[in-house]
Amino acid sequence: METVDQTFKERLIDFTFYCRERQFMLGPQDTREAFDIAERGYWLDRKLFQYSLKAIFCKRKEHFDRFDEMFDRFWSRYYQEKLEARKKAIKQIKKEPETDTLIFLGAKFNKPRQEKEQKEAKQTKGANEQLRLRMTDFSKVDIADKERLEELAEELFHQMSMRFKRRLESANKGRIDIRRTIRHSISKGGLMLDLAYKKKRREKRKVVFLLDVSGSMDTYSYYLLRYVMVLRKYFRELEFFTFSTHLTHVTPMLRAENEEQVLRAVGKNVHSWSSGTKIGESLSEFLSKYGHKFLSQKHIVVILSDGLETGSVTQLKEAVGTIRRKCRTLIWLNPLKGMKDYQPIQQGMVNVMPHLDAFESAHNLESLLKLEKLLMDV
Amino acid sequence: MNTEIESLIADFYKHGYILNDALATSVFLLKKLEKPLLLEGDPGVGKTMLASALAAHLETDLIRLQCYEGLDVGNTIYEWNYQKQLLHIKLFEQERDKKKLGEEIFGMEYVLERPLLQSISAPKPVVLLIDEIDRADEEFEAYLLELLSDFQISIPELGTISAVSKPLVILTSNRTRELSDALRRRCLYHWVDFPTRARELDIIGRKLPEIDQELASQVVTFIHNLRKSSLHKPPGIAESLDWAKTLLLLNENHITDEIIKNTIGSVLKHKDDIEFVKNRSVQEFLMPID
Repeated sequence: METVDQTFKERLIDFTFYCRERQFMLGPQDTREAFDIAERGYWLDRKLFQYSLKAIFCKRKEHFDRFDEMFDRFWSRYYQEKLEARKKAIKQIKKEPETDTLIFLGAKFNKPRQEKEQKEAKQTKGANEQLRLRMTDFSKVDIADKERLEELAEELFHQMSMRFKRRLESANKGRIDIRRTIRHSISKGGLMLDLAYKKKRREKRKVVFLLDVSGSMDTYSYYLLRYVMVLRKYFRELEFFTFSTHLTHVTPMLRAENEEQVLRAVGKNVHSWSSGTKIGESLSEFLSKYGHKFLSQKHIVVILSDGLETGSVTQLKEAVGTIRRKCRTLIWLNPLKGMKDYQPIQQGMVNVMPHLDAFESAHNLESLLKLEKLLMDV
Repeated sequence: MNTEIESLIADFYKHGYILNDALATSVFLLKKLEKPLLLEGDPGVGKTMLASALAAHLETDLIRLQCYEGLDVGNTIYEWNYQKQLLHIKLFEQERDKKKLGEEIFGMEYVLERPLLQSISAPKPVVLLIDEIDRADEEFEAYLLELLSDFQISIPELGTISAVSKPLVILTSNRTRELSDALRRRCLYHWVDFPTRARELDIIGRKLPEIDQELASQVVTFIHNLRKSSLHKPPGIAESLDWAKTLLLLNENHITDEIIKNTIGSVLKHKDDIEFVKNRSVQEFLMPID
């Protein structure tokens, strides 16, 4: 076995922290295994070390896709930082003593002041940072936060999807099936040792999402699209449309496994992306082309739009009224609702409000996560 | 790359499985760290085949558990041999005292071993393949946790049975549903992607040595271009091989529109996908891959 030097050990611990900050689910066991492979000498071969850490640290495809880039970025960056830090440290040693003295139970301890302060600041920052990002309006995300918000969104959406799954599955246990229990007992001399249960008939959840991808919704559309992509795994029948000046049926493009592929396919095929808004016209098109197929008393229809209609308001009112009559629940998600003092006083919204079962905001991660309850309850 | 991994790749190649460096490292760690390996990926990319190749490489048995909805302890871990227990009770109900009789009928000889128990009772390490775990219920995933982390199984009447030899566990999933974090935490992970063009050509050349190079190249280009299209079910390696075999049987040397119409059923399994291809020219799918 090769001995691993202290610097490398520190670097490895830093890397686990770096991964955790990027929503990798790493426990002490994973860190221990990373040390184990390092001590086996695998760290001397960069590729072997990279692939080994990849197998241990990644738990999902989303991690797997990002890992190589993260590995490259961290280990090259770290090396540079380490060099710079070392140079700075040498300079500082010459200038001032770096440690404070702490007397605890009569014993003297040296406490590296700067390091402690940085660590505390980092911890507080970490918790507040998450909260801040959750509350940040999608339209106000700056470039520095974009990557962190994406990672946080991925993790929170994943957690939400797990909750969805658990609730759906626990709702599926039924009563004892007497016929099957008796039949099972035949092979056991008539003794009812195993009980068979009836499965509750699974109610097919049907959801239709209509996403406004016009210019005014541009900053929100991307996150809303990702949100819908998570939900598609848990609704047996989910149909997805985008609209601005006209309607596009996006469901067939959602079949690609890879999220990036889906986003690329949608971007390529939705020609009206970032253009004007004709909500009424688009919803009428939905009704005439797809209404017979995707609207029934089992369907939940979710419209994601700011309601800034540039077309006919009468047409919008009629279309929304017809959709409401034909579906079970109609939900309107409006990112503008997240703005302070927002009132739905635009012509478009005023006319559709009486037909809605729910009117919610969808401007930040927090508000999207709150929709979970709304979708589960209907 | 490490020499052990290189020899692993070479040995797998002999057994008909072409490993890339990353997957080879995962298999290597599966052996070294004795930790289960979770493979996810589209259907037909060779996840299940990897377990067979590993068993052949180690010259050991492969125990396969095919998962489905409703799978329970009785089908996977153990079941009491009720008939034998009842027979024993009938035979000795007059002669023995009840307490001793009760103890006797809950011994190992009355246990019917199912795949998971078999895998930890085997005298030498076997390869345990838990195939399509995403099809099983969440409860079954919970049963698996004890086996995957401690390689032991608890039977209430007998206590804990620890592994005689630790099996090499491979779990596969097609991601039809999300697996729990608890299960993922206990496994190494690898996403098995569709192979690169060169690797797929290599696979076809190895499985069908009599195939013409030009035809094999066309098949691979066609399949790769199909995978880029938005299909319900993109073709996997198995479909590439099936199609190449079909063309070989028909003595075809080139892919034409006519051949596509007659044989596309061995590549695509969905009506809409077949229509999608039939409505396009073959040349569109034979364009060189970037």
